[in-house]
Amino acid sequence: MKSSAPPPSPPKILLRFFRWFCHPDLVDSIEGDLYELFEENIVQKGLHKARWGFAWEVLRLLRPSLILPLFRFYKPIYIAMIKHNFILSLRSFRRYKSSFLINLIGLSTGLACALMIYLWVNDELHMDKFHVKNDRLYQVMQNSQRPEGIRTSNQSPALLAQALKQDFPEIEQAITTGNNEFNGRGILKQGNRQAEVDGLFASKDFFKAFSFPLAQGTPQQALSNKQSIVLSQKLARQLFGTTKNIIGKTVKGNRDLFGATYQVTGILGEVPTNSTLQFDFVANYTMVFSKVEWIREWSGDGARTYIALKPKVNADAFNQKLGQYLQTKPDREDNHLFIQPFSERYLYGKYKNGAPSGGRIAYVRLFSLIALFVLLIASINFMNLATAHATKNTKEVGVKKALGVTRGALAFRFFQESILLAFLSLLVALHLVGLLLPQFNLITGKALQINQLLDITWPILGITLFTGLASGIYPAIYLSSFSPIKVLKGASYKLRASSKVYLVRKGLVIFQFALSVIFIVGVVVVHQQVSYVQTAEVGYSRDQVLHFKMRGKYNRETLIERLKGIPGVVNATNIHGGSIVTMSGFGTGFQWSNQDADKEVAFRRPHIGYGFVETLGIKVLQGRSFSKSYGDETSKLMVNEAAAKLIGMKDIVGKTILDGDQKKQIIGVVKNFKVRSMHEALQPCIMRFSPRGSDFMVKLQAKNQAQTIDQIKRVYTSFKPEYPFVFQFIDQEYQALYQAEQRVASLSKYFTIIAIIISCLGLLGLTIFTNEQRMKEIGIRKVLGASVLQIVRLLTGTFAKTVLTAILVALPISYLLMDQWLDNFAYQIALQWWYFVGAGLAVLFIAWITVSLQTIRVAQVNPVNCLKDE
Amino acid sequence: MGKYYLGEFEEVVMLTVGVLYDEAYGVSIKKEIEARLDRKVSVGALQSALKRLEQKGYLTSREGETNAKRGGRPKRYFSLTAAGKRAIEDTRTMRNELYDAIPKIALNLEMN
Repeated sequence: MKSSAPPPSPPKILLRFFRWFCHPDLVDSIEGDLYELFEENIVQKGLHKARWGFAWEVLRLLRPSLILPLFRFYKPIYIAMIKHNFILSLRSFRRYKSSFLINLIGLSTGLACALMIYLWVNDELHMDKFHVKNDRLYQVMQNSQRPEGIRTSNQSPALLAQALKQDFPEIEQAITTGNNEFNGRGILKQGNRQAEVDGLFASKDFFKAFSFPLAQGTPQQALSNKQSIVLSQKLARQLFGTTKNIIGKTVKGNRDLFGATYQVTGILGEVPTNSTLQFDFVANYTMVFSKVEWIREWSGDGARTYIALKPKVNADAFNQKLGQYLQTKPDREDNHLFIQPFSERYLYGKYKNGAPSGGRIAYVRLFSLIALFVLLIASINFMNLATAHATKNTKEVGVKKALGVTRGALAFRFFQESILLAFLSLLVALHLVGLLLPQFNLITGKALQINQLLDITWPILGITLFTGLASGIYPAIYLSSFSPIKVLKGASYKLRASSKVYLVRKGLVIFQFALSVIFIVGVVVVHQQVSYVQTAEVGYSRDQVLHFKMRGKYNRETLIERLKGIPGVVNATNIHGGSIVTMSGFGTGFQWSNQDADKEVAFRRPHIGYGFVETLGIKVLQGRSFSKSYGDETSKLMVNEAAAKLIGMKDIVGKTILDGDQKKQIIGVVKNFKVRSMHEALQPCIMRFSPRGSDFMVKLQAKNQAQTIDQIKRVYTSFKPEYPFVFQFIDQEYQALYQAEQRVASLSKYFTIIAIIISCLGLLGLTIFTNEQRMKEIGIRKVLGASVLQIVRLLTGTFAKTVLTAILVALPISYLLMDQWLDNFAYQIALQWWYFVGAGLAVLFIAWITVSLQTIRVAQVNPVNCLKDE
Repeated sequence: MGKYYLGEFEEVVMLTVGVLYDEAYGVSIKKEIEARLDRKVSVGALQSALKRLEQKGYLTSREGETNAKRGGRPKRYFSLTAAGKRAIEDTRTMRNELYDAIPKIALNLEMN
């Protein structure tokens, strides 16, 4: 054998792995065997095979009898040490009960907060991710160039899916589903049973692309025919009384479901709650396609399109290819397509300049941060109290060190204590979560359950361990660094005064209270903004206006007349496409004489009936409103101030402009009013006339409303509508626009309270402790004639300074944060100075109360009691 | 079952250690079994059996010479202890007794 070229050695990494896991008694001889076999195998089978053989052998050496014992501290001495530490910890808990309780309460509320937020965040993050093809499932989105900027929409032409499937080999399935307009809302009938349903029209591969479970039927066949319908179990029971043997039977849809007969081809399993698509039935989209003429054109958006890409297709490259695709179709010059991962749509549902720009993810991040900070505040309590207790522990440290205990073992002791406390807190926290979860669900609108915590056992244990380590790290490092000689000589009081420790402790308190101030400012600003938008002047009267929808064929005029005839009704009107709050319809299509040719303007353009302006109390500034006494009004328009200004004609009333290709005369200008939410800016509005709207708004008198509503219901039912009477007051609808903000407001309120409580607990603990330390001093001062007030001032002085610093640190930060949040709204409150000063004062006050209650008690002590010893 | 219990593979290992007498260490045992019995033996299976048998007191081991071929690692030689010898004898006797107790007719292949 030549010595110059060393023989090839087995893979190093495997060898190291083997040395790591193998029992130390056996490692050498077995490794020798492995070497020998390896070298022989090289000769017999070649290097490559020998390496694989080696890997295989190493893997098969992973047996309980050969590997190192899992618990490396198997020597009895370590167990004794852990036991000893455990007893010491329990003793110290018992001896310093107040500190222990403060730590336990603080840590457990902190943990409970964090756990609940974790549950919520986890739920949010898993929305829509249960589909097997999740990582390949995309929604096709559409950007269109509009005068007001790029508009992103999730709708697309009904023809798109099939065309994409044909033209792009990368696509495995392309799915069309109904859009807002063909949403599958209606009534299904079977014999003499019927049910109001909310379903989904989807093309035939729907169940192949999405993993919604089918209790009966197969994904291949479920939507194979035009008449196919898959019912939910609940719906099947409503219509048939059973879920058995109904495959092949038929159900009939009402007008909204095209009056068609559907054949049951499957039964849905449980639709997961973490799905954004929820439906009572799925029927074949071909039905819509065959019944509605305009969606067979490229020009109309009558669908939503989803695609499942084939495995290993690069989505970015596909996006590039897809971009210009729609522009090759007729009437689609301005439209640009892109795909967005389907499960991402839930958290990233906002778009700016044609690209996703956040959405709910902002709240997920916000609350994760809050959870982290609340935990941090709780951990800081522990750290602070532990360092404060250092003086009491110094003797223990000194004696142990003198007896030869290593620094590592000492650090281990403190870590063990903090981790023990963290896990005790976890037990308490779990109970707290169980108690508070129903309330939490109420606020967040989720259906979280305590047993979901089981799914995240490891993260929870991780968080707890982390909290324990974070809380213990400072004492572990600091206490274990004491020099035994100094400690045993009795220099402990010097340690307490050591400025470095003092500074760190103070810094931590500052951090806690700064966070509390930021939280408070946040709560105040969010609350102010939410109540501002809820009560803001919107240019119409929201009070006592009831809104209901009536579908089907009936005489609108008679209905309105009869509504007006009810004694408690002030006025009534109808409109197309939702009440004034939820109104849809926004776009271009108006032309006038002196218009900038290249600047097309988008308007809100509702179709309203008679009495709209009057019912809602909108002020008419010039001209008049639509009225029956002027005959046919369809060729007339009303505008709001903003629109009048935009059009820019002098004496606009009486002028004509083009609505599409129709000439229409402007008959009145009304004061600006705001439709939809305050997130959007005020839009110019051109009101067109149509008596055919099926959304009714009825203004009621303030008294006897229950009776009036009852009568409205009677009028409604006398028209024999298919749907039951469902109404809402428009101020409720308006409030509902801010549901997300309201949730944030109420949640952050609770978390702020918790943060403050935990901070104060910490402060209380520190106060109790330092006061105890200064008992002798207080006694002597009292003997020498100090008054209670003087002593209180002496003891609280430093805390006031600390908390003031915290406030100063927090104010600019909170200002910046809040300023950023308000940018979400087109209408914002101005940030008032008193929000900040108020928050600061509140924190100062709370901290002061905490400290002085304890301090006053101490200051009243009888000096004899604290001076009689020694 | 007597007071010595050996599993099938354990028995094979014990016997092979006996066969190799002074030359029984990991690789040689493995090869001997593979050659004589025509079966694959992994280092893991063999080593855990050896360890088990040593714990039961049937085998004893000593560290042997090192050698450059083995990455400088020593060999561990195994030999049978007195208890080990009794154990394989006992197992053998038990087997033979069982075999002898089978009625002749059951072994008459032509009858089947």
